[in-house]
Amino acid sequence: MTFKQNLFSQFFLISVSSLMLVNTAVAETNQLSGLEIAQQVNARDEGASVSRNLTMEMIDRRGKKRVRETRGFRKYYGEEKRTMIFYLKPNNVRKTAFLTYDYPQADDDQWLYLPAMRKVRRISSSDRGDYFLGTDFTYEDIKKEGKVGIEDYTWKMIGEEIIDGHHSYIVEAIPINDKVARELGYGKVIYHIDSNIWMVRQTKSWDVRGNELKTINFHDIRQVQDIWTAHMLEVNNHKTGHNTRFLFSDIDYATGVADEIFTQQALRRGL
Amino acid sequence: MCFSTWASETGTESTFGNIEYSAMLETQWAYGVTKKSNQKFQFIYEPEINIELPNNQKFTMIGRLRGDISDKLEPNNPSQTEISPISRRLLMGDHAELALREFYYEATVGETYLTLGKQQIVWGQADGLKLLDVVNPQDFREFILDNFTRSRIPLWTVNTEIPIHDAVLQLIWIPDQTYHALPESNSLYAFTSPRLVPDVPPGINVNLHPVNKPNRFFADADYGARLMHFVGGWDLTLNYLYHYNDNPVLFRSLISGPQPTITITPRYKRSHLIGGTFSNTFGDFVLRGEVGYSTDRYFLAEHINDSGGVNKSDDFAYVFGLDWSGIENTFLSMQLFQSHLIHHKAEFVRSKVDTTLTSLIRRNFINDTVIAEVLWIHSTNDGDGLVRPKFSYEWQDNIKVWAGMDIFYGNQTGLFGQFSRNDRLIVGIEWGM
Repeated sequence: MTFKQNLFSQFFLISVSSLMLVNTAVAETNQLSGLEIAQQVNARDEGASVSRNLTMEMIDRRGKKRVRETRGFRKYYGEEKRTMIFYLKPNNVRKTAFLTYDYPQADDDQWLYLPAMRKVRRISSSDRGDYFLGTDFTYEDIKKEGKVGIEDYTWKMIGEEIIDGHHSYIVEAIPINDKVARELGYGKVIYHIDSNIWMVRQTKSWDVRGNELKTINFHDIRQVQDIWTAHMLEVNNHKTGHNTRFLFSDIDYATGVADEIFTQQALRRGL
Repeated sequence: MCFSTWASETGTESTFGNIEYSAMLETQWAYGVTKKSNQKFQFIYEPEINIELPNNQKFTMIGRLRGDISDKLEPNNPSQTEISPISRRLLMGDHAELALREFYYEATVGETYLTLGKQQIVWGQADGLKLLDVVNPQDFREFILDNFTRSRIPLWTVNTEIPIHDAVLQLIWIPDQTYHALPESNSLYAFTSPRLVPDVPPGINVNLHPVNKPNRFFADADYGARLMHFVGGWDLTLNYLYHYNDNPVLFRSLISGPQPTITITPRYKRSHLIGGTFSNTFGDFVLRGEVGYSTDRYFLAEHINDSGGVNKSDDFAYVFGLDWSGIENTFLSMQLFQSHLIHHKAEFVRSKVDTTLTSLIRRNFINDTVIAEVLWIHSTNDGDGLVRPKFSYEWQDNIKVWAGMDIFYGNQTGLFGQFSRNDRLIVGIEWGM
């Protein structure tokens, strides 16, 4: 066999393999609706609790960067999820803290501690489409942590593709009504969901007027204590040219988090 | 737990555990637009040291070095008679001072959380108006224009927080006999409203006695309790404070004769304050409020012959606030504050019902780097008030610049109107280190 023939054979084999993979995925896809894929994403194990460092980098269209260093905690109480974020740096936002109780069937309860006032402020949970403390993530994005709001959208599987070398389903999510769309700030979201590990690898969102709004990429996805974890999230806001990067480190699912972390007393006291 | 420590950054291993140093440097310039003169040209350096000790123990120290070239807010050396000796500032000439702002130790003993030392305790849900936020006294050198954290006077306090089922009981004991720092008569923001200072007819001398300040360590201490609970979506507290009211009562007597003289004897008087707070969300709205009942409050009387120039009454007061954030990046807040004197008499200078309204509109731009806001406080009784537009810009990660105006309006007899000639333009820069 000549070198060319050898190369052709290898190419043929690879192509056939790829086709078989895609066919397998298509066959599987036929059995999964968009809603089922979204449910798979939300069923993914994310640990009963986690603690981690989070560095937020916010870059404006001229390249000026602001950096926030935080420490975050999350814990499940049955279906209820509690999340706390403490700001550590820089000094002008240090001691700011954000606490949320996310209920499966009711509006969330959210509190923000503002060190300049030394007061815990209640925040309306319907502000979920507002941007979180200067980032390009909304409060809802922060709360969902890579999961999806199943009840907020109607789901439709519209295709599949290879993204970053991983087979992914493309799922379209349309808010169930105008009110929800306005609350979320999204008129449409396209999710690219890894079919093997049920992690969102990319989302593209459009605003309520149909203009392209944001792209969120989930990078450096690897297992930490057997749990698939994205170590970097990057948002490009197409409207403003502003970018936000979330960099996670020192992630610990195993040690557990004390209940006292998720209290208004802890908000005030800080770490 | 400490994630960024000065000690570790500099490679220093401290025997006390992690040591964290941070500081805030701020410069402010205020220009009185009516009097066409500087009100202040001030710099503030506020260092903070946090030391983390074993077993979740923490130690915090916050200092403040403040200088003011203008020296109009507290001309010369203020007497600080309202402040206990251990809490006083160190005055360095007419233009600079050094203060130990906060100095406290935190520890958990069993399930009880202890905070011991000089600290601020903030109660209440109201913004800009104080009903239950009276645990710490306030420095009025700039009336209410300085931010509350900076103008609140920290006190030496024993502060315990005890979990009781799902609630938390806070118990406080304050042996520090420090009260409101009131501006002296030669200062820019000295009180002149007849609601606060007695009116002295022309031709009558005034003999102002030194303030009769409580000084018994145990017997004159303040103490209080707050029960905090989150239930059914409501944040609720019950509050009780047995304290000396931070405003001295100005008892007056008239000595007749060829040279009539009014003698004023300031004295601090005890009061029980019982009340509570609430807050909850309803869609885009946050409803919050405070209710308080104070016993034995003293108010100035019209005539000097009326019970030593003062009258006593209980006071029932409340604040209802409604915040709305239905528009992205926009925050609207309205508050109604009312105080009802239960034993009001005709000779009171103050009305039976005192009503103040506030509204705040704030909008964030460019990923929260630019914030524009207007705060409006209006007294319906006197028809006076204060408007505070402000614009701030986060120039760098740790540098913020801002500009604003403080505009008083109304009759000079009112709480706000008394400063109607003190309208000012103010600019500042804040650097976090």
